[in-house]
Amino acid sequence: MSKKKKKKIVRGIFFYAGILLLMAAILIPFFFMVTVSLKSAKEAIQVPPTVLPEALTLQHYKDIFNANIFPFLKYFKNSLYVSVLAASISLVFGIMAGYALSKLRFPGRMTISNSFYCVYMFSGILLIVPLYRLLSSIGLYNRREALIIIMVVQTLPTSIYMLKGFFDTIPQEIEEAGKIDGLNYVQSIFYIVIPISVSGIVSVFVYAFMIAWNDFLYATIFLSSSDLFTLPIGLNSLFNRPDYIWGRMMAAALVTSVPVVIMYAFSEFLMKKGTTEGGVKG
Amino acid sequence: MNRKKEMTAGFLFIAPSILLIVLLIGYPMIYNFIISFHKVPVNPKKPMQFVNFANFTKTLADPSFYKALGVTVFFTLLVVFLSTAVGLAVAILLNRRFFGKKIVKALILLPYIVPSVSLIFAWKYMFNNTYGIVNYLFVDVLGLFERAPLWFDRPASAFVLVTLFCVWKFFPYAFMSFYAILQTIDRTLYEAADVDGANGWQKFKVITLQEIKPVLATVVTLRTIWVFYMYTEVALLSGQVKTISVYLYENAFSMRDMGKAAAISILLFAIIFSFIMLVRKKVFKYE
Repeated sequence: MSKKKKKKIVRGIFFYAGILLLMAAILIPFFFMVTVSLKSAKEAIQVPPTVLPEALTLQHYKDIFNANIFPFLKYFKNSLYVSVLAASISLVFGIMAGYALSKLRFPGRMTISNSFYCVYMFSGILLIVPLYRLLSSIGLYNRREALIIIMVVQTLPTSIYMLKGFFDTIPQEIEEAGKIDGLNYVQSIFYIVIPISVSGIVSVFVYAFMIAWNDFLYATIFLSSSDLFTLPIGLNSLFNRPDYIWGRMMAAALVTSVPVVIMYAFSEFLMKKGTTEGGVKG
Repeated sequence: MNRKKEMTAGFLFIAPSILLIVLLIGYPMIYNFIISFHKVPVNPKKPMQFVNFANFTKTLADPSFYKALGVTVFFTLLVVFLSTAVGLAVAILLNRRFFGKKIVKALILLPYIVPSVSLIFAWKYMFNNTYGIVNYLFVDVLGLFERAPLWFDRPASAFVLVTLFCVWKFFPYAFMSFYAILQTIDRTLYEAADVDGANGWQKFKVITLQEIKPVLATVVTLRTIWVFYMYTEVALLSGQVKTISVYLYENAFSMRDMGKAAAISILLFAIIFSFIMLVRKKVFKYE
């Protein structure tokens, strides 16, 4: 019996050692992001490197929000403009298409449902040449709108697929009850489907927002004037200048991550809340 | 009457999405095909010139094309295999009750959620040639190398770095997928195996692997396409890793040879398409 207990303790130690190692591998880069953003410019490039900042400074955070020093806010606004619009449009079309594929019977429905994988094969780098030429020829070169359109299309298949999945879980009876009350399809979406699937809808918005927020490839192709730069290309161009300051870059990197991390955490929270509430009722 | 109404509504609701996908994925892909047979002048106002298969022969005669293809295949195999394996291992490790599980699960997702551009600053800092912590540890503390490796400037070390980065960033995706499916496996299957005296590896092979097979197929297929086409992480981290997408991008926007770039994308598509078909038929025995 005691031998068994000993074995259990040893296994426990190994298990937590594994978890600790995993956490270290994941968190160390973030640790440096945070500490370097709080170090002075000199200390960041000191040899041998310091682990914790010797003198804490918030100067870099002040600097990145100062438009005279660093165009961070401009890039932030551009990113926000592109990502919010792209995610909203993707969501609206996604809800319509997801609803049609989940609840309505029409010819071709199964074919469309089954061909989502195909669209994956046409993503990203494969379309840069034709999209560059086509969108430039209709005057969308160096316009943020080009990015919005592309982000909508690139996220749409997954948005539809995810939303169809959420709508599939809504029992048919609930909708039928609505029909008896005289709701048409559009009303049914607004009064029944959307309120029931709030957590799913939020998670699709967050997904599309993240894709647009992180996009680098299409931004480099379409945006040429720095006034229109989104965060990924803006920060990268600042980083490629010889006079960059590490602390400032890290502060900018952290603030760039904040919106997506908060949104993701919020959507996870809604999902969890949704499943536990459903569990109580059912 | 009602059936007809339902059909009309269905078509109307799906129409905008179909239209967008046809206009911005279907049509461009056809246009891509057309461009690949033309010489494209830099000035967009001048017409394209039909050159038959010249772009394809030019690409297929270019040694850099094969080199880029080789690098990409190797890179894709490594990243997909490692990120899937690590994701699965972590999912199995965490598939039990323990103190601090919630926070551990949330933190694992950080590399996946945070934008690449932010993560890359941190990695570039850590691996910096002169003041980076990695070289300080390897050279000054552990004495593994005599001279500090220049991580970003040599093709081989840059390749290692980019691979490590991508595994680190993308294993959480595999983890999430596997963790969800592991929860659905019936515990009594393992208990029955215990009674039969199966060891850990046997249990993994016979029970776990069988149950997660559909998810494994999806994760591997989607990730392969993704990594094969990957541009952002590779280009941002180092200019030294010439994958096929970097090669395509350079041909299109540095050399301004859009015709050749279009031909490369057609070849790329052909490769990924045959790969997907092969994998689905042979490895996962679908349909």
